[in-house]
Amino acid sequence: MTTLQSQPNHAGDAHGADGAHDGAHGSAEHAKYPFLQHHFDTPHHQFDSAKLGMWLFLATEVLFFGGLFVAYAVLRNRFPEVFSYSSHYLDTIMGGINTCVLILSSLTMALAVRFAQTNRKTGLIICLILTFMGAIGFMVIKYFEYSHKIHDNLVWGTTFYVPPHDAAGELEAKELSVAPTTSITLNPVNPAVFAVPTLAPTPAVDASAIKQASRAPAGMATPTQMAKAEGLPTGEHDPSFAHPATHLVDKKMPANSHVFFAIYYAMTGLHGVHVLAGMVVIAWLLKRAIRGDFSSDYFTPVDVGGLYWHIVDLIWIFLFPLFYLIH
Amino acid sequence: MNIASTIFSNLLAGDPREGRTLWLPPQDSNLAVNSDLMFWWINIICYFFFIGIVIALVILVVKYRMKKDRPFRTDGPLHHLPLETTWAVVPLLIVIFIFYFGFRDYLNFMTPPKNSYEIAVTAQKWGWLFKYPNGATSDDLYVPTGRPVKLSMRSSDVLHCCYIPDFRVKKDLVPGRYSYLWFQTDDVTPEGWGHNLFCAEYCGTGHSNMNRKVYALAQPEFDAWLTAQSQWLDKIPEEELYFRAGPKLYARCQQCHSLDGTKGIGPSWKGLWARVSGGEGGDGKFVDGTGYQSQIGAGKQYQTPEDYIRSSILNPGEHVVAGYANAMPSFKGQLNDKGIDAVIGFMKHMDEFDTKGKYLKEVPPAPKVSMK
Amino acid sequence: MTTINLSQPLDTAARPDNYITHTRGFMSWAFTLDHKRIGVMYLVSVLVSFFVGGVFALLVRTELLTPGQTIPGVTADVYNHFFTLHGAIMVFLVIIPSIPAALGNFIMPIMLGAKDVAFPRLNLFSYYLWIFGALFTVSSLLLGGFDTGWTFYTPYSTTTPAGGVIPALTGVFILGFSSIFTGLNFIVTVHKLRPPGMTWFRMPLFLWAIYATAIIQVLATPVLGITLLLLIVERAFNIGIFDPSMGGDPVLYQHFFWFYSHPAVYIMILPAMGIISELISVHAHRHIFGYKFIALSSIAIAIFSFLVWGHHMFISGQSPLLNTLFSLISFSVAIPSAVKVFNWMSTLYKGNIVLNTPMLYALAFLVLFTIGGLTGIHLATLNTDVHLHDTYFVVAHFHYVMMGSALIGMIGGLHHWWPKITGRMYNENLGRIGCITVFIGFNVTFFTQFFLGSQGMPRRYYDYQPEYQIYHVISTIGSYIMASGFLLTAYYLLASLFGGRLAPANPWGGRSLEWQCASPPPFDNFSTQPRVGDCYDFSAIRWDEKEQGYVVDRALDPTLNPNLAAKNSH
Repeated sequence: MTTLQSQPNHAGDAHGADGAHDGAHGSAEHAKYPFLQHHFDTPHHQFDSAKLGMWLFLATEVLFFGGLFVAYAVLRNRFPEVFSYSSHYLDTIMGGINTCVLILSSLTMALAVRFAQTNRKTGLIICLILTFMGAIGFMVIKYFEYSHKIHDNLVWGTTFYVPPHDAAGELEAKELSVAPTTSITLNPVNPAVFAVPTLAPTPAVDASAIKQASRAPAGMATPTQMAKAEGLPTGEHDPSFAHPATHLVDKKMPANSHVFFAIYYAMTGLHGVHVLAGMVVIAWLLKRAIRGDFSSDYFTPVDVGGLYWHIVDLIWIFLFPLFYLIH
Repeated sequence: MNIASTIFSNLLAGDPREGRTLWLPPQDSNLAVNSDLMFWWINIICYFFFIGIVIALVILVVKYRMKKDRPFRTDGPLHHLPLETTWAVVPLLIVIFIFYFGFRDYLNFMTPPKNSYEIAVTAQKWGWLFKYPNGATSDDLYVPTGRPVKLSMRSSDVLHCCYIPDFRVKKDLVPGRYSYLWFQTDDVTPEGWGHNLFCAEYCGTGHSNMNRKVYALAQPEFDAWLTAQSQWLDKIPEEELYFRAGPKLYARCQQCHSLDGTKGIGPSWKGLWARVSGGEGGDGKFVDGTGYQSQIGAGKQYQTPEDYIRSSILNPGEHVVAGYANAMPSFKGQLNDKGIDAVIGFMKHMDEFDTKGKYLKEVPPAPKVSMK
Repeated sequence: MTTINLSQPLDTAARPDNYITHTRGFMSWAFTLDHKRIGVMYLVSVLVSFFVGGVFALLVRTELLTPGQTIPGVTADVYNHFFTLHGAIMVFLVIIPSIPAALGNFIMPIMLGAKDVAFPRLNLFSYYLWIFGALFTVSSLLLGGFDTGWTFYTPYSTTTPAGGVIPALTGVFILGFSSIFTGLNFIVTVHKLRPPGMTWFRMPLFLWAIYATAIIQVLATPVLGITLLLLIVERAFNIGIFDPSMGGDPVLYQHFFWFYSHPAVYIMILPAMGIISELISVHAHRHIFGYKFIALSSIAIAIFSFLVWGHHMFISGQSPLLNTLFSLISFSVAIPSAVKVFNWMSTLYKGNIVLNTPMLYALAFLVLFTIGGLTGIHLATLNTDVHLHDTYFVVAHFHYVMMGSALIGMIGGLHHWWPKITGRMYNENLGRIGCITVFIGFNVTFFTQFFLGSQGMPRRYYDYQPEYQIYHVISTIGSYIMASGFLLTAYYLLASLFGGRLAPANPWGGRSLEWQCASPPPFDNFSTQPRVGDCYDFSAIRWDEKEQGYVVDRALDPTLNPNLAAKNSH
């Protein structure tokens, strides 16, 4: 039988030795600090717990993205030539600007935390606004990048092999060896016959043929598609690639290049979703800051919000070299 | 349904062989011997521990029941390092032993001998095709006894798994790559009876109906079968194709296409020929809205109804009948022209078969071809 | 919670004002931040899901009475939906949340002497995520169902025409986040809300188990999240990561999936093991044997569980090297669990055993977990696994560990803490009958399936060869016995709510902190400061006739009686 120890188990505990009635001392603290929740003893206790909670959440985010990083590694290992070649289709300058924007926004976020800690409300609000603007800037540049690529059908899946500007719809999906998928239709009339999607479950040609056969130099595009692509009008694009359907007529493009874009959109897209979520968080922090919620006593939300924003930045710092820089 | 009577009739109609134990089917391959030995040893160890634990529990529970109206005994030990170490280390050593022997035998499973007789296997929803070195194909697996056999396997669509319980072999079939397994069986299978071959990776509606049989023949009989099998279609006179070969080939199609009008995964073949040849039954439609007759005929995409059927077998996604999914796999490479002719003939003469595909008239004695 | 006035007696008398009656109305429950109410809501949700999943199980078993169609209208397709739903509901809606979210939420803060978990709002949010996930999963039934098996293997799951696949995947994705946030909450709670005096090695073993489980929940579940997201995107947009014709690899999916799903099974079993530690020590009134080992083995199992996922893939075409490594590590993971069983048995040695319902469940656990664990050896061994993989042997094995161990542990814990949660005692005789019925039914159902599997019957089969029928019939009869045991249990537990004897604070004689508050607990858990001591020291416990429950005898309590303080432990 062991003896009871009665020391407190957390540091920074400011109250005295009288613990006769938990309620008495408890309510004094809780009256002094209206933000202090009833199950925590002191603000410091609450702050520590919140930070631990946020770090754990960051760990889950790392593992969440980790799966995609593993997928990237597996695909890169399988198709090294695809990755080293296709990264040329990404605009390094735009990506670089985005990187700087995010890093700067991390700086303004860290400054915001500092201002909150030192009771400087104006500085806090300005820095939060700057961070928010950085996020917007990131998303705007991303919008330009994406729209440019989608315009050229530099996208995931079999759409990669359909030339853009095909308004006449002449080059149907049927021409491809694998029927592409766009939507899933439901069959509400007779649910017993389970919904018949426009997915093609099995391709018309035996799909188990070990894939490297390309029926045209540029992967899975058919000769007809390429010929038609040659004849399409040009648009404004990166001057070094003067043709809108460059990737379809680019003889040096390896087979299976759609794989690069699939993982590119998956990772940067998921990252973009997290940036949007971060914008919501920053906006909420801004609202509370204007309302005057934060002080040197209580700045926990700014601190943990900042932690989240830093990891969003950190993930981009890994994405940028993996997609844009290494060839 | 009278469950009791079906159980007993099933039991009696079962396995003609001996050697089945409580746990395992008879050992019918070289790999089964060591696999079973390992299984038996693990079982012995498990019985030992399990019975020991149960007996100990019973003794403990009886001996240390709480005595009423007496204070709790408090002399129970809290730890005992030597004992705890022993019962951690000893099981660890046991499992390491088990791992080692399992691993060693597993290497055997993974290493087919160089002179193995190789058979190519293709699985698709929901059937198997076994292809032999001389080009013969078969729906069931025939193997020669007394020599190692290697199955080189691929799937055309989703994951499948080739499992032969009596041989204790199993391997997944993955689309996009080849996998293999090997075995050697020395016992000729009794007449009319075969080992079970199951698909052991869930693949949809017909997963439990992909069962096939494995027939083991002595080398001379196997050679004879192989020769006959590679020629069986060729040896059939043109006019007899539809009733000699049709039903057998239909076995591959019946998972999805009924003969009695029931709508399945694919359209029923009842009245099919009439529909595609513009006879009674009206004009059918494809999913793109066009009618049969707009696609079939002189100058159209399919010159003749035979052309259309042939295209449906080799390139089924080209025109899908309205109301059905594009779910049919291609049979390119599995059905040659004669086979296709047999199927077309089967469709043309559907009225000569019952709803299960059995020929209703009497089959004339076969010339030189023996078929199983 | 710092220094404690030891002269003040514990006040554990039942009060009319407890957490149930403190506030009333639907909104007070729907927006509650009280961990006890959230725990109760989870409990009800999980038990209802268990019932639904159980109905699917009975449909599956009944259909298997004969080869071919048995139940009119149940075709192979319908059957495939049945077993898929049974698996998905049981795994994601029942077993994974059951002990941590239902029992853990209620008991853990009280065991810690705390007022709540670290993040009560996150706790409520977790519950709502569970509800949304469940709704999505149910909605998938209305949109065409899903027939992929709970494992969603590609390429079948990305190409099956069943229309409910994406809603189901979304539902499971949301449920995953419910699990993650619960785990996150529990880790912070254990780190930050322990009372003075409760060092790590003074914590009850249930908390060690919950903590280890929470680590797995936080680290493994995000990988499931990304896997399901990739599946949804693959199915909707055919990006080609798992499609060989597009350069992808179906086996990559299996790696992703099992990287989560293997640790997931330890999410299921670790809390149950924690409960067993409590049940055995309390109902044998005996200090747990080998406390430190049991505590540390929970963490070891949590860590090792991340290293063995490939043992689900021995037959998938995985390289022999990986197969060898995974086989070897899988064996080593088994050892801590085996030693725990020996420790629990040693706790019975020189104990004061009472064969009441919780103890019977604990004994059932020991037997069933032994069988489940031992049959894992057949499956971890490379050559025998070739024969047994994807047969009914595997089905039997995982039901022994997931149902016969994890679920039995949960129900044992439910009985153990029922007086605390509801303030009522259930009928003890019916409790014993229910436990024995379930035990017998369970063994008849699933032990038979070991033979079925080793004789070669594959799993997920609607139709089967006739020689297997006798096994299926026996197994189905067992399932009906088991179902009746569960129905009996549900009956007497519900009946206790309306007419059961009022429960004292400490009906079983436990020493952990939850027995130092009233049954049911007041809104803020404790009226007086609970005393932290050795939670497995039962020497000071005695039965009090007046209270009809156990109390700490102050003369025998070393924290109160300085004369005893000098005594050493054994």
